[in-house]
Amino acid sequence: MGKLTALRRFGGWLVLGAAATFMLSVVPASAGTKLDIVWMGWAEEMVKPLMDWFEQENPDIKLNYQRIPYNELLSSLEVRLGARTPEPDIYSADASLTASYAARGHLMDLTPHFKDDLARFDEAALQAASYRGKVFAGPFATSTQLMYVNVDLFKAAGVELPGTGIEDRWTWEQVLGAAKKIAKPQENIWGILLEQSDRPYQLLPLMQSRGAKVVSDDGLVSTGYIDGDKFVEATQFYGDLFGVHKVSPPGLFDLNLVQEVFHTGRAAMMVGGTWNLDRLNAGASFKWIAVPHPYFEGGTPVTSTGSWQIGINPRSKNPEAALKFMRFFMRDDVQVKWFNLRPYPPVLKANWSNLSDRLTGQPWKIAKYELQNTAVPRPPIPGFREYEEILKLAFRDIQQGAPVKERLTRAAREIDRELAKYK
Amino acid sequence: MPIEPWACDMKINPAYYFLAPAVVGLTVFKLIPISVAIVGSFYGTSLMGESVFRGIDNYRSILSDPDLLSSLGITLLFNLIANPLQVVLSLAVALLVFRPGPLIGLFRSVLFLPVTLSLVLTALIWNLLFDPFLGPVNAILEAVGIGRQGFFKDETQALGSMVWLATWRGVGYWMLFMLAGLYAIPESLHEAARIDGASWWQRFCHVTLPLMRRPIAFVLVAATAINMLFFAPVYIITAGGPNGATDFVMFRIYQTAFNYIDLGRALAMSTIMLLVVLIVALVELRLLRSED
Repeated sequence: MGKLTALRRFGGWLVLGAAATFMLSVVPASAGTKLDIVWMGWAEEMVKPLMDWFEQENPDIKLNYQRIPYNELLSSLEVRLGARTPEPDIYSADASLTASYAARGHLMDLTPHFKDDLARFDEAALQAASYRGKVFAGPFATSTQLMYVNVDLFKAAGVELPGTGIEDRWTWEQVLGAAKKIAKPQENIWGILLEQSDRPYQLLPLMQSRGAKVVSDDGLVSTGYIDGDKFVEATQFYGDLFGVHKVSPPGLFDLNLVQEVFHTGRAAMMVGGTWNLDRLNAGASFKWIAVPHPYFEGGTPVTSTGSWQIGINPRSKNPEAALKFMRFFMRDDVQVKWFNLRPYPPVLKANWSNLSDRLTGQPWKIAKYELQNTAVPRPPIPGFREYEEILKLAFRDIQQGAPVKERLTRAAREIDRELAKYK
Repeated sequence: MPIEPWACDMKINPAYYFLAPAVVGLTVFKLIPISVAIVGSFYGTSLMGESVFRGIDNYRSILSDPDLLSSLGITLLFNLIANPLQVVLSLAVALLVFRPGPLIGLFRSVLFLPVTLSLVLTALIWNLLFDPFLGPVNAILEAVGIGRQGFFKDETQALGSMVWLATWRGVGYWMLFMLAGLYAIPESLHEAARIDGASWWQRFCHVTLPLMRRPIAFVLVAATAINMLFFAPVYIITAGGPNGATDFVMFRIYQTAFNYIDLGRALAMSTIMLLVVLIVALVELRLLRSED
């Protein structure tokens, strides 16, 4: 009898539990919704204020965000998205990979949700977030590159400074000439630094300035392009900066370390992003100026662009909450705050005037000119991840003395092998 | 007499009960994943994530890929140098710390210390120590007039530097097995040889070495299995470079699976790697087979 009572009591709890589970499942999705977010590994103080602001405005949505450093972010996303699970709901998408993610069904088509907003975005940023005529990501930042100059080192070596006007743009040959006069490798003083010295993002403009085409029109063949004469010539120039002229430190691939070398006054020039401006303005220990990105004599000025976007996983179980998050981050005021946390050039047209008090001075004038006139986005090829990774390893080897033509030929063979799956 | 419902006449050798946990563990954690990997190596993934049967295409493409064959060559060369080196050095240090003496415990601990560090930490430490600009090793080399070396950054020295790193970490561990082997040799045999007038070298060649065949074979096979799968330092320090000098197969497998998004091909490479390790281990075991 006692056993029967216990069994009934257990049955009662079971029914109650099932009812509670059912009740919870029919509560509207927005109540107590949790969004799983994979975010680029910017410093916590650059990320948390925006996330907190969103949570304050949307108390029914909790954000579970994970910041992953750039070097691990892309492979980590590959693993998580490749599993085709509903998580992460939202992720930071590198602009160069939009086409790749979209082609593989990892991005929600945002075109219907953005239809009234399209005119608000900078055209290049919107183009970078699109694939085959549809918008797949929310532009969150764009980028351009400037050349920062340590005036003190130039003066100490008695070398004439480059002008800061667009018309004063130096050629790479002039940069090398000045760098050779200033660099003292034995004393750890360098002539020229490339902030992301192994990444196609920063290096493709060198080859494009020389007139090289970096991939076939359909984005599926690299042989004949990255091992073509002009690409090889520009890469040879790049490789010689490290091994022959010894004006750049080889093997320094970490962006933070390169920045550290420049910001501690141990390099005469650095080609880098506008994110360096805040640190320099905050109090550099040396006098500095920013000048336009160099180009090859007889070639055309080309600068890198593109940056971060926000993507929604199409398998997300919380699409409404994810779209709320997206709309929040596409707001003018949110992106103004974002600029104040990390000064990427704005992707919203209105913010160039909203931020006019901060976007003053010659560096920002140059940045705006480059974005409108010389910026060339990375090729929107479905296999950019493979293209970038293989080319990155080739650039690393070339920095350390590998024969340029031979190494690029091998890279082209490897890239074509990996791109074959997209045909 | 009550009859237990599960009782039967069939008698099971008690040894099976003892073996069962190991067999279950081996099946769940080794045999099933290996089987899944082998089956997966005949498949690919479509862009939209669906599995597509590729037959032997993955294998055909791998075996005709000169880059992978070059990786396999580098991995085998690394093993050809690192494995015998680790065996010889671990036996040598085991002989040095075998006999009791003052501070012998301290020496053993110091030799074992590198094993307690994770491979990732080991890689970071040696990357800093060997740094061409900031590394203390280069500062010393420069001070004594040898000049700075590239180590991991130099195409001709990178593989050797990896051998050094693997050996620095591995020797202390393998020393333990060698010590166990040395302790298992009956002291009476050495005693008899000594009475017969055998020198230290003669006792080592004719008593110690023959009786150490089993521990040596074990260390050699185990070191092979570990060094064939050498990965973390390559990922952290060289990423396969400079110019492919440390492009080990495991790094290529990682690249293929996670950066080039081709799991089927990566699994086919893993299967080939498994076969290579098996063949090398069998050859080593056969060469070092004990007479008894």
